[in-house]
Amino acid sequence: MSYARKWLAAAGLITVLGLSGCQDLSDDLSPDGGDQRPEVAAGSAGSQVSQLAPLFTAVDSLGVTHTLAGELATVDGVVLYFTMWCPTCDSHMSHIRSSLMVNFPNVTFLIVDYVTGSMAVSRAAQLANGYAGFTVLVDTALSLHKDFDGGMGVTVVIDSSGIVQFNEDYKDGVKVRATLEALP
Amino acid sequence: MKSVVLKAALFAGAATLFSSQAQAASCCGGGASSALVLPKFSTAMVDVSFDIEQYDGFWNNTGHHNSDPPGSDLSQYRLNAGYAHRIASRWQASVIMPYVWNNNQHSRGLSTNSDGLGDTRINLWYEAFDGVTCVWKVRKPADLKPAAYFGTTLTVPTGVSLYDDVAYDTDITGLGFYRLDATIFLEKTIYPWNASLLLSYGKYLERAVNRERGHYVEPYDKNLGDRQLVTVSAGYTVFLDSMNTVTYTLALSDLKEDEATIDGRINETSGMKKRSAALIAAYSTMDRDWVFKATWNHALDRDGWGENFPTTNVLTLGVSHVLR
Repeated sequence: MSYARKWLAAAGLITVLGLSGCQDLSDDLSPDGGDQRPEVAAGSAGSQVSQLAPLFTAVDSLGVTHTLAGELATVDGVVLYFTMWCPTCDSHMSHIRSSLMVNFPNVTFLIVDYVTGSMAVSRAAQLANGYAGFTVLVDTALSLHKDFDGGMGVTVVIDSSGIVQFNEDYKDGVKVRATLEALP
Repeated sequence: MKSVVLKAALFAGAATLFSSQAQAASCCGGGASSALVLPKFSTAMVDVSFDIEQYDGFWNNTGHHNSDPPGSDLSQYRLNAGYAHRIASRWQASVIMPYVWNNNQHSRGLSTNSDGLGDTRINLWYEAFDGVTCVWKVRKPADLKPAAYFGTTLTVPTGVSLYDDVAYDTDITGLGFYRLDATIFLEKTIYPWNASLLLSYGKYLERAVNRERGHYVEPYDKNLGDRQLVTVSAGYTVFLDSMNTVTYTLALSDLKEDEATIDGRINETSGMKKRSAALIAAYSTMDRDWVFKATWNHALDRDGWGENFPTTNVLTLGVSHVLR
């Protein structure tokens, strides 16, 4: 019994030390729902909402070069979706295809592959996952990932004047759709 | 590839979430149940196990299995420390704390490594029986009565989730949500055979989110869907000359999580299903005070065996020590 008490005390101590030593834990144990988005100057350069998006140049999985300026010249907006070919990404991309692409024909949808590292592997993943019809930008140098603070499921909407209108996780797509409907 | 959520373990843990567990004893001691269960008449139990989880593609939301891109090597390792304590003749409580290491190589482009505390599970079990229910021979109907446990588990989000300050999704070690599970666990041993059934239903607690992957966003409320788990197992015990035992068990699990909600709306891109099978070998000393276990949990990389979830294989090595 004395052994048991010692083990229990040790487990409790480890728990307390572990919790108190990790600041990040409090984010989940007691979530803060306050709006902590940093204030940014509208029209300044950056990837946050209201900022002027970085004018990127990227190559897709077929070797075709795309520029943001070139894309925006002919459409109402550009959507970037960051994928790592995972189940969540697949679910989002499937939703983009069925719910957004058909309803917003004057918007360009670009998938950003930031994990495969080569055109050949990216193209193979694109085909294997059933997205042959998508344009997949191969972010070999992670430049798009850095410029737009990208990550799995991150979706960026840029309007025709180059202003970022949305930069968050895709989630259920409702806010992305609302953003596209409100494009100038 | 891994979905963090899920490890959940997503991702995680999914974490963290869905690994096999080699933390068990049984009503009689020395068994191979799938939960951290203290044998009857024991005071306490210490359990340590190590999981090696390897990712092997994923099922999409229609159940089609996709492979990971060539060159991907995604792994998660977990050291699980568990302690169970008898608090009354029919009541026992336990806590399981994992420490998680993520080691991921994505094709040729990106490599990420991280480690940290996983989500902690706190269990409370009620035993609906007073004596050991394991028998050698069925002589009367009462000998068929199984050991019945009714339990509840609180998962505490002590891991690092998507909503913390993480750079990559693959860095997370927890889900970020509290969850409360209600579990029924039935177990019967008629030597040398044993069988068990575990039914579990879990509800997550809705939380506020104002950050995704270290990036502050417009705040919203999110909840994951209800979680249902069914595990059945059957095993056979071999008695060695020393009267030590080796128990071999086959377990089948079916796990389902309903769709998540965002600000109360159903998120059609979420939810998951996973079926898996596990082979367990448990070596127990004659007095049942020490149990050494090896578990191979395998998910079939075939269409229809899961939805919207990573396919993984998990090797678990563990040891339990019962304090009388």
